[in-house]
Amino acid sequence: MAAAIDLRGVALVRRTQEELHYDLKRTALNFVRGHARRVHRHTVIDRLDLVVEHGEKIGIIGPNGSGKSTVLKLIAGVLRPTRGIVRVSGSVAPLIEIGVGFDPDLTLVDNIVYYGVLMGRDEHEMRERVDAILDFAELGTIREQPTKTLSSGMSARLGFAIATEFRPDILLLDEVLAVGDERFRRKCTARLDRFWDAHSTIVLVSHDMAYIARSCERVIWIDGGQIHFDGPAALGVEKYLASVPAGNGFTRGAQLVELAANSRTGEIPVRGTSPTEQGMQVFLIRDGMRRPISNDDFSLSDYTWDDIIHVDDAVILEVPEGERVG
Amino acid sequence: MTSLTRSVPAFGPPRRLEIRRWTDLIRMTALRSLKVRYRGTILGVLWSFANPAMMTVVYTVIFGAAYSRYFGGSIERYVMSAFVGLVVVTFFLAATTEAMGSVVGNGGLLNKIAVPTAVFPLASVAANVFQQTVTTFPIVLVLSAVVTHDALHVVLVPVVLLALVALSTGFGLALAALYVFFRDLPHLWAIAGFVLWITSPLFYPAEIAPERIRAWFAINPVANALTALREVTIGTGPLDPAPVLAAVAGGAFALLTGALVFRALRRDFMDLL
Repeated sequence: MAAAIDLRGVALVRRTQEELHYDLKRTALNFVRGHARRVHRHTVIDRLDLVVEHGEKIGIIGPNGSGKSTVLKLIAGVLRPTRGIVRVSGSVAPLIEIGVGFDPDLTLVDNIVYYGVLMGRDEHEMRERVDAILDFAELGTIREQPTKTLSSGMSARLGFAIATEFRPDILLLDEVLAVGDERFRRKCTARLDRFWDAHSTIVLVSHDMAYIARSCERVIWIDGGQIHFDGPAALGVEKYLASVPAGNGFTRGAQLVELAANSRTGEIPVRGTSPTEQGMQVFLIRDGMRRPISNDDFSLSDYTWDDIIHVDDAVILEVPEGERVG
Repeated sequence: MTSLTRSVPAFGPPRRLEIRRWTDLIRMTALRSLKVRYRGTILGVLWSFANPAMMTVVYTVIFGAAYSRYFGGSIERYVMSAFVGLVVVTFFLAATTEAMGSVVGNGGLLNKIAVPTAVFPLASVAANVFQQTVTTFPIVLVLSAVVTHDALHVVLVPVVLLALVALSTGFGLALAALYVFFRDLPHLWAIAGFVLWITSPLFYPAEIAPERIRAWFAINPVANALTALREVTIGTGPLDPAPVLAAVAGGAFALLTGALVFRALRRDFMDLL
Protein backbone atom coordinates (compact mmCIF):
# COMPACT_ATOMS: atom_id res chain seq x y z
CA MET A 1 0.00 0.00 0.00
CA ALA A 2 1.28 3.43 -0.90
CA ALA A 3 2.20 5.85 1.84
CA ALA A 4 -0.50 8.37 2.80
CA ILE A 5 1.72 11.29 1.88
CA ASP A 6 4.83 11.06 -0.22
CA LEU A 7 6.88 14.15 -1.06
CA ARG A 8 9.93 13.49 -3.20
CA GLY A 9 12.52 16.15 -3.89
CA VAL A 10 9.87 18.82 -3.61
CA ALA A 11 10.88 22.40 -4.26
CA LEU A 12 8.63 25.42 -4.40
CA VAL A 13 9.70 28.70 -5.91
CA ARG A 14 7.27 31.56 -5.48
CA ARG A 15 6.98 35.11 -6.66
CA THR A 16 7.55 37.50 -3.82
CA GLN A 17 4.69 39.46 -2.33
CA GLU A 18 6.05 42.81 -3.50
CA GLU A 19 4.68 41.75 -6.87
CA LEU A 20 1.28 42.61 -5.44
CA HIS A 21 2.09 46.22 -6.13
CA TYR A 22 2.66 45.37 -9.73
CA ASP A 23 0.15 47.18 -11.87
CA LEU A 24 -0.50 47.99 -15.48
CA LYS A 25 0.46 51.63 -15.13
CA ARG A 26 3.88 50.80 -13.75
CA THR A 27 4.41 48.03 -16.26
CA ALA A 28 3.60 50.39 -19.11
CA LEU A 29 5.90 53.08 -17.69
CA ASN A 30 8.74 50.60 -17.28
CA PHE A 31 8.17 49.35 -20.77
CA VAL A 32 8.37 52.86 -22.15
CA ARG A 33 11.56 53.51 -20.20
CA GLY A 34 12.93 50.38 -21.77
CA HIS A 35 13.43 48.19 -18.75
CA ALA A 36 10.91 45.50 -18.09
CA ARG A 37 10.84 44.69 -14.40
CA ARG A 38 12.21 41.33 -13.55
CA VAL A 39 9.95 39.04 -11.62
CA HIS A 40 11.40 38.34 -8.20
CA ARG A 41 11.24 34.75 -7.09
CA HIS A 42 12.51 33.02 -4.03
CA THR A 43 12.73 29.43 -2.93
CA VAL A 44 10.28 28.65 -0.15
CA ILE A 45 10.75 24.89 -0.04
CA ASP A 46 13.94 23.24 -1.16
CA ARG A 47 14.58 19.55 -1.88
CA LEU A 48 12.10 18.28 0.66
CA ASP A 49 11.54 14.57 1.10
CA LEU A 50 8.80 13.41 3.41
CA VAL A 51 6.96 10.13 3.68
CA VAL A 52 4.01 9.83 6.04
CA GLU A 53 2.45 6.41 6.51
CA HIS A 54 -1.28 5.84 6.95
CA GLY A 55 -2.42 6.56 10.48
CA GLU A 56 0.69 8.50 11.48
CA LYS A 57 0.24 11.65 13.55
CA ILE A 58 3.01 14.10 12.87
CA GLY A 59 3.70 17.60 14.07
CA ILE A 60 5.51 20.22 12.03
CA ILE A 61 7.47 22.80 13.99
CA GLY A 62 9.86 25.57 13.14
CA PRO A 63 10.22 29.35 13.28
CA ASN A 64 7.85 31.72 11.48
CA GLY A 65 8.31 31.82 7.75
CA SER A 66 10.18 28.54 7.66
CA GLY A 67 7.66 26.92 5.31
CA LYS A 68 5.52 24.89 7.71
CA SER A 69 2.15 26.05 6.37
CA THR A 70 3.48 25.84 2.82
CA VAL A 71 4.13 22.13 3.30
CA LEU A 72 0.51 21.69 4.39
CA LYS A 73 -0.69 23.57 1.31
CA LEU A 74 1.42 21.35 -0.92
CA ILE A 75 -0.12 18.27 0.66
CA ALA A 76 -3.61 19.76 0.34
CA GLY A 77 -3.00 20.35 -3.37
CA VAL A 78 -3.59 24.08 -2.97
CA LEU A 79 -0.04 24.77 -4.12
CA ARG A 80 1.74 22.78 -6.79
CA PRO A 81 5.44 22.06 -6.47
CA THR A 82 7.84 23.76 -8.85
CA ARG A 83 9.94 20.60 -8.88
CA GLY A 84 9.46 17.17 -7.43
CA ILE A 85 6.50 14.94 -6.82
CA VAL A 86 3.66 15.19 -4.32
CA ARG A 87 1.66 11.99 -3.93
CA VAL A 88 -1.34 11.84 -1.68
CA SER A 89 -3.34 8.69 -1.21
CA GLY A 90 -6.76 9.12 0.35
CA SER A 91 -9.19 11.96 0.91
CA VAL A 92 -7.84 15.20 2.32
CA ALA A 93 -9.93 17.57 4.42
CA PRO A 94 -9.52 21.25 3.62
CA LEU A 95 -6.88 23.04 5.56
CA ILE A 96 -8.16 24.00 8.94
CA GLU A 97 -6.66 27.31 9.93
CA ILE A 98 -7.50 30.74 11.20
CA GLY A 99 -9.42 32.83 8.65
CA VAL A 100 -11.76 30.73 6.54
CA GLY A 101 -12.72 31.60 2.99
CA PHE A 102 -16.44 32.00 3.60
CA ASP A 103 -18.55 34.32 1.48
CA PRO A 104 -19.49 37.11 3.89
CA ASP A 105 -22.86 37.78 2.23
CA LEU A 106 -24.14 34.21 2.13
CA THR A 107 -26.06 32.70 5.01
CA LEU A 108 -24.34 30.18 7.24
CA VAL A 109 -26.35 27.34 5.71
CA ASP A 110 -25.47 28.33 2.14
CA ASN A 111 -21.81 28.66 3.04
CA ILE A 112 -21.79 25.22 4.63
CA VAL A 113 -23.38 23.59 1.58
CA TYR A 114 -21.12 25.49 -0.81
CA TYR A 115 -18.01 24.60 1.15
CA GLY A 116 -19.04 20.96 1.13
CA VAL A 117 -19.49 20.96 -2.64
CA LEU A 118 -16.05 22.52 -3.05
CA MET A 119 -14.77 19.67 -0.90
CA GLY A 120 -16.28 17.26 -3.42
CA ARG A 121 -19.39 16.36 -1.45
CA ASP A 122 -22.84 16.06 -2.88
CA GLU A 123 -25.22 19.00 -2.43
CA HIS A 124 -28.01 16.85 -0.94
CA GLU A 125 -25.64 15.10 1.40
CA MET A 126 -24.44 18.50 2.63
CA ARG A 127 -28.01 19.70 3.24
CA GLU A 128 -28.55 16.69 5.46
CA ARG A 129 -25.40 17.43 7.41
CA VAL A 130 -26.04 21.14 7.93
CA ASP A 131 -27.76 20.68 11.28
CA ALA A 132 -25.03 18.48 12.69
CA ILE A 133 -22.38 20.97 11.59
CA LEU A 134 -24.23 23.97 13.05
CA ASP A 135 -24.82 22.04 16.25
CA PHE A 136 -21.16 21.33 16.71
CA ALA A 137 -20.21 24.93 15.94
CA GLU A 138 -22.98 26.07 18.33
CA LEU A 139 -24.31 28.47 15.72
CA GLY A 140 -27.70 26.87 15.07
CA THR A 141 -29.64 29.94 16.20
CA ILE A 142 -28.18 32.21 13.53
CA ARG A 143 -28.25 29.75 10.64
CA GLU A 144 -29.97 32.12 8.21
CA GLN A 145 -27.83 35.15 9.00
CA PRO A 146 -25.13 36.37 6.62
CA THR A 147 -21.77 34.97 7.57
CA LYS A 148 -20.22 38.42 7.93
CA THR A 149 -22.00 38.76 11.28
CA LEU A 150 -19.76 36.04 12.75
CA SER A 151 -16.79 36.97 14.90
CA SER A 152 -13.43 35.57 13.84
CA GLY A 153 -13.65 32.96 16.59
CA MET A 154 -17.12 31.90 15.47
CA SER A 155 -16.12 31.53 11.83
CA ALA A 156 -13.09 29.49 12.87
CA ARG A 157 -15.48 27.24 14.79
CA LEU A 158 -17.66 26.84 11.72
CA GLY A 159 -14.65 26.06 9.53
CA PHE A 160 -13.50 23.45 11.99
CA ALA A 161 -16.96 21.90 12.23
CA ILE A 162 -17.31 21.57 8.43
CA ALA A 163 -13.85 20.17 7.83
CA THR A 164 -14.16 17.57 10.57
CA GLU A 165 -17.77 16.56 9.86
CA PHE A 166 -16.58 13.89 7.50
CA ARG A 167 -13.85 11.59 8.60
CA PRO A 168 -11.12 12.30 6.08
CA ASP A 169 -8.18 9.95 5.56
CA ILE A 170 -5.84 12.86 5.97
CA LEU A 171 -6.40 15.83 8.25
CA LEU A 172 -4.26 18.94 7.99
CA LEU A 173 -4.33 21.32 10.92
CA ASP A 174 -2.67 24.72 10.96
CA GLU A 175 -2.57 26.37 14.37
CA VAL A 176 -6.19 25.43 14.83
CA LEU A 177 -5.82 25.10 18.58
CA ALA A 178 -5.15 28.81 18.94
CA VAL A 179 -8.74 29.73 18.08
CA GLY A 180 -12.02 29.71 19.91
CA ASP A 181 -12.59 30.14 23.59
CA GLU A 182 -11.27 27.66 26.10
CA ARG A 183 -14.45 25.61 26.21
CA PHE A 184 -14.64 25.28 22.46
CA ARG A 185 -10.97 24.42 22.23
CA ARG A 186 -11.60 21.49 24.53
CA LYS A 187 -14.51 20.42 22.36
CA CYS A 188 -12.30 20.58 19.28
CA THR A 189 -9.58 18.66 21.01
CA ALA A 190 -12.11 15.99 21.97
CA ARG A 191 -13.27 15.68 18.38
CA LEU A 192 -9.70 15.58 17.16
CA ASP A 193 -8.98 12.80 19.64
CA ARG A 194 -11.59 10.77 17.81
CA PHE A 195 -9.53 11.15 14.66
CA TRP A 196 -6.43 10.49 16.68
CA ASP A 197 -7.81 7.16 17.81
CA ALA A 198 -9.06 6.30 14.34
CA HIS A 199 -6.83 5.50 11.42
CA SER A 200 -6.71 9.03 10.10
CA THR A 201 -3.37 10.47 9.14
CA ILE A 202 -2.85 13.81 10.86
CA VAL A 203 -0.38 16.54 10.03
CA LEU A 204 -0.40 19.36 12.53
CA VAL A 205 1.41 22.68 12.40
CA SER A 206 1.66 24.35 15.77
CA HIS A 207 3.76 26.43 18.09
CA ASP A 208 2.18 24.69 21.04
CA MET A 209 5.15 22.50 21.85
CA ALA A 210 3.48 20.88 24.82
CA TYR A 211 0.54 19.75 22.69
CA ILE A 212 2.80 18.43 19.96
CA ALA A 213 5.01 16.53 22.39
CA ARG A 214 1.91 15.05 24.01
CA SER A 215 -0.14 14.20 20.92
CA CYS A 216 2.23 13.43 18.06
CA GLU A 217 4.48 10.46 17.60
CA ARG A 218 6.79 12.12 15.17
CA VAL A 219 8.00 15.65 14.62
CA ILE A 220 9.35 17.36 11.55
CA TRP A 221 11.31 20.50 12.28
CA ILE A 222 11.47 22.72 9.24
CA ASP A 223 13.86 25.60 8.87
CA GLY A 224 14.54 27.60 5.73
CA GLY A 225 12.33 25.33 3.67
CA GLN A 226 14.29 22.20 4.52
CA ILE A 227 13.85 19.44 7.05
CA HIS A 228 16.12 20.08 9.98
CA PHE A 229 14.99 17.19 12.14
CA ASP A 230 12.73 14.22 11.61
CA GLY A 231 12.19 11.86 14.51
CA PRO A 232 10.41 11.18 17.81
CA ALA A 233 8.23 14.09 18.94
CA ALA A 234 9.64 14.55 22.44
CA LEU A 235 13.22 14.65 21.18
CA GLY A 236 12.35 17.04 18.35
CA VAL A 237 10.55 19.47 20.62
CA GLU A 238 13.40 19.40 23.10
CA LYS A 239 16.00 20.09 20.45
CA TYR A 240 13.88 22.84 18.92
CA LEU A 241 13.29 24.64 22.24
CA ALA A 242 16.98 24.40 23.08
CA SER A 243 17.81 26.05 19.77
CA VAL A 244 15.61 29.09 20.36
CA PRO A 245 17.90 31.92 21.46
CA ALA A 246 17.02 33.15 24.94
CA GLY A 247 19.18 36.28 24.87
CA ASN A 248 16.74 38.63 23.15
CA GLY A 249 14.96 39.68 26.31
CA PHE A 250 12.30 37.05 25.88
CA THR A 251 11.75 33.91 27.78
CA ARG A 252 9.12 31.38 27.01
CA GLY A 253 6.31 29.48 28.67
CA ALA A 254 7.09 28.08 32.09
CA GLN A 255 10.19 30.24 32.45
CA LEU A 256 8.07 33.33 32.06
CA VAL A 257 5.63 32.23 34.73
CA GLU A 258 8.53 31.52 37.01
CA LEU A 259 9.92 34.97 36.37
CA ALA A 260 6.59 36.50 37.24
CA ALA A 261 6.25 34.46 40.41
CA ASN A 262 9.68 35.53 41.58
CA SER A 263 9.27 39.18 40.86
CA ARG A 264 7.72 41.33 43.56
CA THR A 265 5.16 43.04 41.36
CA GLY A 266 4.41 40.13 39.06
CA GLU A 267 5.70 42.21 36.22
CA ILE A 268 8.15 41.04 33.72
CA PRO A 269 10.63 43.63 32.56
CA VAL A 270 10.30 43.70 28.83
CA ARG A 271 10.65 47.40 28.29
CA GLY A 272 13.83 48.31 26.50
CA THR A 273 14.13 44.98 24.85
CA SER A 274 10.55 45.01 23.74
CA PRO A 275 9.63 42.80 20.84
CA THR A 276 8.10 45.58 18.82
CA GLU A 277 11.39 47.42 18.90
CA GLN A 278 12.73 44.44 17.10
CA GLY A 279 9.93 44.70 14.59
CA MET A 280 7.74 42.06 16.16
CA GLN A 281 4.16 42.34 17.25
CA VAL A 282 2.79 41.02 20.52
CA PHE A 283 -0.75 39.65 20.55
CA LEU A 284 -3.06 38.68 23.31
CA ILE A 285 -5.58 35.95 22.58
CA ARG A 286 -8.53 36.16 24.91
CA ASP A 287 -11.97 34.64 24.35
CA GLY A 288 -10.99 33.67 20.88
CA MET A 289 -10.18 37.25 19.92
CA ARG A 290 -6.69 38.16 18.92
CA ARG A 291 -5.55 41.71 19.54
CA PRO A 292 -2.24 43.48 19.65
CA ILE A 293 -0.91 44.64 22.99
CA SER A 294 1.23 47.64 23.53
CA ASN A 295 4.56 46.83 25.10
CA ASP A 296 4.64 49.71 27.51
CA ASP A 297 2.12 48.05 29.76
CA PHE A 298 3.08 44.48 29.17
CA SER A 299 2.74 43.21 32.69
CA LEU A 300 1.60 39.75 33.67
CA SER A 301 -0.78 41.04 36.32
CA ASP A 302 -3.20 42.11 33.60
CA TYR A 303 -3.67 38.63 32.33
CA THR A 304 -5.48 35.54 33.51
CA TRP A 305 -4.81 31.90 32.94
CA ASP A 306 -7.18 31.84 30.01
CA ASP A 307 -4.98 34.15 28.01
CA ILE A 308 -2.38 33.27 25.48
CA ILE A 309 0.28 35.74 24.51
CA HIS A 310 1.86 35.52 21.11
CA VAL A 311 4.84 37.26 19.68
CA ASP A 312 4.15 37.19 15.99
CA ASP A 313 2.70 33.71 15.87
CA ALA A 314 4.74 31.95 18.49
CA VAL A 315 3.18 31.28 21.87
CA ILE A 316 5.41 32.77 24.50
CA LEU A 317 3.11 32.51 27.42
CA GLU A 318 0.37 30.11 28.13
CA VAL A 319 -0.38 30.25 31.81
CA PRO A 320 -1.49 26.84 33.03
CA GLU A 321 -4.93 26.39 34.49
CA GLY A 322 -5.28 26.95 38.22
CA GLU A 323 -2.17 29.03 38.51
CA ARG A 324 -2.60 32.60 39.62
CA VAL A 325 -0.78 35.30 37.88
CA GLY A 326 0.10 38.70 39.30
CA MET B 1 9.72 16.56 -13.35
CA THR B 2 6.74 18.24 -11.90
CA SER B 3 3.67 16.28 -11.16
CA LEU B 4 0.92 16.02 -8.67
CA THR B 5 -0.99 12.84 -8.35
CA ARG B 6 -4.01 12.16 -6.28
CA SER B 7 -5.78 8.87 -6.10
CA VAL B 8 -9.09 10.66 -5.55
CA PRO B 9 -10.33 14.16 -6.31
CA ALA B 10 -9.65 16.52 -3.44
CA PHE B 11 -12.19 15.02 -1.07
CA GLY B 12 -15.04 12.66 -1.59
CA PRO B 13 -16.00 9.38 -3.11
CA PRO B 14 -13.39 8.00 -5.44
CA ARG B 15 -14.02 7.57 -9.17
CA ARG B 16 -16.35 10.51 -9.22
CA LEU B 17 -16.56 11.75 -12.77
CA GLU B 18 -14.37 14.75 -13.36
CA ILE B 19 -16.99 16.39 -15.57
CA ARG B 20 -19.66 15.95 -12.93
CA ARG B 21 -17.40 17.68 -10.42
CA TRP B 22 -16.85 20.60 -12.77
CA THR B 23 -20.54 21.08 -13.48
CA ASP B 24 -21.39 20.81 -9.77
CA LEU B 25 -18.75 23.38 -8.89
CA ILE B 26 -19.81 25.80 -11.61
CA ARG B 27 -23.50 25.42 -10.81
CA MET B 28 -23.04 25.98 -7.08
CA THR B 29 -20.63 28.88 -7.58
CA ALA B 30 -23.02 30.56 -10.02
CA LEU B 31 -25.89 29.99 -7.60
CA ARG B 32 -23.86 31.57 -4.81
CA SER B 33 -23.22 34.70 -6.87
CA LEU B 34 -26.93 34.97 -7.80
CA LYS B 35 -27.99 34.54 -4.17
CA VAL B 36 -25.62 37.24 -2.98
CA ARG B 37 -26.68 39.59 -5.74
CA TYR B 38 -30.40 39.35 -5.14
CA ARG B 39 -30.47 39.04 -1.38
CA GLY B 40 -32.89 41.66 -0.11
CA THR B 41 -33.93 42.96 -3.53
CA ILE B 42 -37.56 43.26 -4.59
CA LEU B 43 -37.26 42.73 -8.33
CA GLY B 44 -34.50 40.17 -8.04
CA VAL B 45 -33.54 38.63 -11.35
CA LEU B 46 -35.97 40.95 -13.17
CA TRP B 47 -33.30 43.65 -12.90
CA SER B 48 -31.47 42.01 -15.76
CA PHE B 49 -34.50 42.79 -17.89
CA ALA B 50 -35.04 46.23 -16.39
CA ASN B 51 -31.56 47.41 -17.33
CA PRO B 52 -31.75 47.04 -21.15
CA ALA B 53 -35.48 47.89 -21.12
CA MET B 54 -34.97 51.22 -19.35
CA MET B 55 -31.97 52.06 -21.50
CA THR B 56 -34.06 51.36 -24.59
CA VAL B 57 -36.70 53.80 -23.35
CA VAL B 58 -34.06 56.47 -22.72
CA TYR B 59 -32.46 56.03 -26.13
CA THR B 60 -35.82 56.02 -27.89
CA VAL B 61 -36.94 59.21 -26.17
CA ILE B 62 -33.73 61.01 -27.07
CA PHE B 63 -32.71 59.55 -30.43
CA GLY B 64 -35.80 57.69 -31.65
CA ALA B 65 -37.33 60.48 -33.70
CA ALA B 66 -34.03 61.62 -35.16
CA TYR B 67 -32.84 58.17 -36.23
CA SER B 68 -36.11 56.53 -37.20
CA ARG B 69 -35.63 57.53 -40.85
CA TYR B 70 -32.72 55.08 -40.97
CA PHE B 71 -35.16 52.40 -39.85
CA GLY B 72 -37.68 52.93 -42.59
CA GLY B 73 -39.32 55.73 -40.66
CA SER B 74 -40.41 53.29 -38.00
CA ILE B 75 -39.92 54.09 -34.31
CA GLU B 76 -40.80 50.47 -33.52
CA ARG B 77 -37.84 49.22 -35.53
CA TYR B 78 -35.56 51.65 -33.71
CA VAL B 79 -36.85 50.39 -30.37
CA MET B 80 -36.27 46.76 -31.34
CA SER B 81 -32.85 47.50 -32.75
CA ALA B 82 -31.75 49.38 -29.64
CA PHE B 83 -33.14 46.69 -27.33
CA VAL B 84 -31.40 43.81 -29.13
CA GLY B 85 -28.15 45.76 -29.15
CA LEU B 86 -28.44 46.54 -25.45
CA VAL B 87 -29.05 42.87 -24.63
CA VAL B 88 -25.73 42.02 -26.28
CA VAL B 89 -23.66 44.81 -24.79
CA THR B 90 -25.06 44.69 -21.25
CA PHE B 91 -24.60 40.91 -21.13
CA PHE B 92 -21.05 41.13 -22.41
CA LEU B 93 -20.00 43.85 -19.99
CA ALA B 94 -21.74 42.33 -16.97
CA ALA B 95 -20.36 38.84 -17.58
CA THR B 96 -16.78 39.92 -18.30
CA THR B 97 -16.66 42.39 -15.40
CA GLU B 98 -17.92 39.79 -12.95
CA ALA B 99 -15.55 37.14 -14.31
CA MET B 100 -12.61 39.54 -14.04
CA GLY B 101 -12.90 39.81 -10.27
CA SER B 102 -13.75 36.17 -9.68
CA VAL B 103 -10.31 34.59 -9.26
CA VAL B 104 -8.94 37.34 -7.02
CA GLY B 105 -12.21 37.47 -5.09
CA ASN B 106 -12.00 33.78 -4.26
CA GLY B 107 -8.34 33.86 -3.29
CA GLY B 108 -9.24 32.89 0.28
CA LEU B 109 -11.00 29.73 -0.82
CA LEU B 110 -8.32 28.84 -3.34
CA ASN B 111 -5.77 28.99 -0.55
CA LYS B 112 -7.73 26.41 1.39
CA ILE B 113 -9.27 23.87 -0.93
CA ALA B 114 -7.83 22.46 -4.14
CA VAL B 115 -10.44 23.72 -6.62
CA PRO B 116 -9.79 24.16 -10.34
CA THR B 117 -9.30 27.92 -10.68
CA ALA B 118 -11.21 28.24 -13.96
CA VAL B 119 -14.41 27.34 -12.10
CA PHE B 120 -14.79 30.90 -10.86
CA PRO B 121 -14.73 32.89 -14.13
CA LEU B 122 -16.83 30.18 -15.82
CA ALA B 123 -19.38 30.39 -13.00
CA SER B 124 -19.52 34.18 -13.34
CA VAL B 125 -20.47 33.84 -16.98
CA ALA B 126 -22.90 31.02 -16.14
CA ALA B 127 -24.66 33.21 -13.55
CA ASN B 128 -25.14 35.93 -16.17
CA VAL B 129 -26.35 33.42 -18.74
CA PHE B 130 -28.92 32.18 -16.25
CA GLN B 131 -30.16 35.71 -15.56
CA GLN B 132 -30.67 36.43 -19.24
CA THR B 133 -32.14 33.02 -19.94
CA VAL B 134 -35.05 33.82 -17.67
CA THR B 135 -35.42 37.40 -18.91
CA THR B 136 -34.08 38.88 -22.14
CA PHE B 137 -33.04 35.82 -24.17
CA PRO B 138 -36.62 34.47 -24.51
CA ILE B 139 -37.80 37.95 -25.49
CA VAL B 140 -35.20 38.06 -28.23
CA LEU B 141 -36.36 34.63 -29.43
CA VAL B 142 -40.02 35.69 -29.49
CA LEU B 143 -39.07 38.90 -31.24
CA SER B 144 -37.34 36.88 -33.95
CA ALA B 145 -40.38 34.66 -34.48
CA VAL B 146 -42.82 37.58 -34.58
CA VAL B 147 -40.75 39.87 -36.79
CA THR B 148 -39.12 37.46 -39.25
CA HIS B 149 -41.76 34.70 -39.48
CA ASP B 150 -38.91 32.50 -40.58
CA ALA B 151 -37.75 29.24 -38.95
CA LEU B 152 -34.15 29.68 -40.09
CA HIS B 153 -33.89 33.06 -38.38
CA VAL B 154 -35.37 31.69 -35.15
CA VAL B 155 -33.13 28.62 -35.13
CA LEU B 156 -30.06 30.81 -35.54
CA VAL B 157 -30.93 32.97 -32.50
CA PRO B 158 -29.54 30.42 -30.00
CA VAL B 159 -26.49 29.98 -32.21
CA VAL B 160 -25.72 33.69 -32.11
CA LEU B 161 -26.39 33.79 -28.36
CA LEU B 162 -23.98 30.89 -27.85
CA ALA B 163 -21.38 32.78 -29.87
CA LEU B 164 -21.95 35.77 -27.57
CA VAL B 165 -21.51 33.53 -24.50
CA ALA B 166 -18.30 32.10 -25.96
CA LEU B 167 -17.04 35.61 -26.65
CA SER B 168 -17.78 36.72 -23.08
CA THR B 169 -16.22 33.56 -21.64
CA GLY B 170 -13.02 34.11 -23.58
CA PHE B 171 -12.72 37.72 -22.45
CA GLY B 172 -13.75 36.75 -18.92
CA LEU B 173 -11.05 34.08 -18.61
CA ALA B 174 -8.33 36.39 -19.93
CA LEU B 175 -9.43 39.30 -17.71
CA ALA B 176 -9.68 37.10 -14.59
CA ALA B 177 -6.13 35.85 -15.17
CA LEU B 178 -4.68 39.29 -15.93
CA TYR B 179 -6.38 40.87 -12.91
CA VAL B 180 -4.33 38.61 -10.63
CA PHE B 181 -1.21 40.36 -11.88
CA PHE B 182 -2.51 43.83 -12.68
CA ARG B 183 -4.76 45.08 -9.94
CA ASP B 184 -5.63 48.29 -11.77
CA LEU B 185 -7.28 46.33 -14.57
CA PRO B 186 -10.88 47.12 -13.47
CA HIS B 187 -10.29 50.84 -14.05
CA LEU B 188 -8.99 50.13 -17.52
CA TRP B 189 -11.82 47.73 -18.28
CA ALA B 190 -14.40 50.30 -17.19
CA ILE B 191 -13.00 52.71 -19.77
CA ALA B 192 -12.71 49.98 -22.40
CA GLY B 193 -16.33 49.06 -21.70
CA PHE B 194 -17.44 52.62 -22.34
CA VAL B 195 -15.41 52.81 -25.54
CA LEU B 196 -16.96 49.53 -26.67
CA TRP B 197 -20.41 50.84 -25.83
CA ILE B 198 -20.01 54.10 -27.69
CA THR B 199 -18.22 52.61 -30.71
CA SER B 200 -20.76 49.87 -31.26
CA PRO B 201 -23.74 50.85 -33.44
CA LEU B 202 -25.94 50.47 -30.42
CA PHE B 203 -28.26 53.43 -30.25
CA TYR B 204 -27.32 54.97 -33.57
CA PRO B 205 -27.47 53.46 -37.06
CA ALA B 206 -24.17 52.17 -38.41
CA GLU B 207 -24.71 54.36 -41.48
CA ILE B 208 -24.05 57.63 -39.66
CA ALA B 209 -20.56 56.60 -38.58
CA PRO B 210 -17.64 57.80 -40.71
CA GLU B 211 -16.16 55.26 -43.10
CA ARG B 212 -12.98 54.62 -41.11
CA ILE B 213 -14.95 54.00 -37.91
CA ARG B 214 -17.02 51.41 -39.77
CA ALA B 215 -13.83 49.41 -40.33
CA TRP B 216 -13.65 49.15 -36.54
CA PHE B 217 -17.20 47.75 -36.45
CA ALA B 218 -15.93 44.86 -38.54
CA ILE B 219 -13.20 43.92 -36.06
CA ASN B 220 -15.04 44.89 -32.87
CA PRO B 221 -16.19 41.47 -31.67
CA VAL B 222 -19.09 42.93 -29.69
CA ALA B 223 -20.33 44.86 -32.72
CA ASN B 224 -20.17 41.63 -34.70
CA ALA B 225 -22.30 39.76 -32.20
CA LEU B 226 -24.69 42.69 -32.08
CA THR B 227 -25.06 42.86 -35.87
CA ALA B 228 -25.56 39.09 -36.03
CA LEU B 229 -28.26 39.10 -33.37
CA ARG B 230 -30.08 41.93 -35.13
CA GLU B 231 -29.86 40.03 -38.40
CA VAL B 232 -31.51 36.91 -36.97
CA THR B 233 -34.12 38.75 -34.87
CA ILE B 234 -35.24 41.80 -36.81
CA GLY B 235 -33.55 41.27 -40.18
CA THR B 236 -35.63 42.01 -43.23
CA GLY B 237 -35.53 39.91 -46.34
CA PRO B 238 -33.56 36.69 -46.80
CA LEU B 239 -30.98 35.86 -44.17
CA ASP B 240 -27.52 37.32 -44.63
CA PRO B 241 -25.18 34.65 -43.24
CA ALA B 242 -22.08 36.88 -43.13
CA PRO B 243 -22.67 38.55 -39.73
CA VAL B 244 -23.72 35.22 -38.15
CA LEU B 245 -20.56 33.53 -39.38
CA ALA B 246 -18.45 36.48 -38.23
CA ALA B 247 -20.01 36.30 -34.75
CA VAL B 248 -19.47 32.55 -34.45
CA ALA B 249 -15.88 32.82 -35.63
CA GLY B 250 -15.23 35.75 -33.26
CA GLY B 251 -16.73 33.83 -30.33
CA ALA B 252 -14.69 30.70 -31.02
CA PHE B 253 -11.50 32.68 -31.44
CA ALA B 254 -12.04 34.68 -28.25
CA LEU B 255 -12.85 31.52 -26.26
CA LEU B 256 -9.73 29.76 -27.46
CA THR B 257 -7.47 32.75 -26.87
CA GLY B 258 -8.95 33.41 -23.43
CA ALA B 259 -8.50 29.79 -22.39
CA LEU B 260 -4.88 29.81 -23.56
CA VAL B 261 -4.11 33.06 -21.71
CA PHE B 262 -5.69 31.65 -18.57
CA ARG B 263 -3.73 28.43 -18.87
CA ALA B 264 -0.45 30.20 -19.43
CA LEU B 265 -0.83 32.50 -16.42
CA ARG B 266 -2.48 30.03 -14.02
CA ARG B 267 0.83 28.70 -12.69
CA ASP B 268 1.68 31.88 -10.81
CA PHE B 269 -1.82 32.64 -9.49
CA MET B 270 -1.39 31.21 -6.03
CA ASP B 271 1.73 33.27 -5.35
CA LEU B 272 -0.25 36.48 -5.67
CA LEU B 273 -3.59 35.53 -4.14
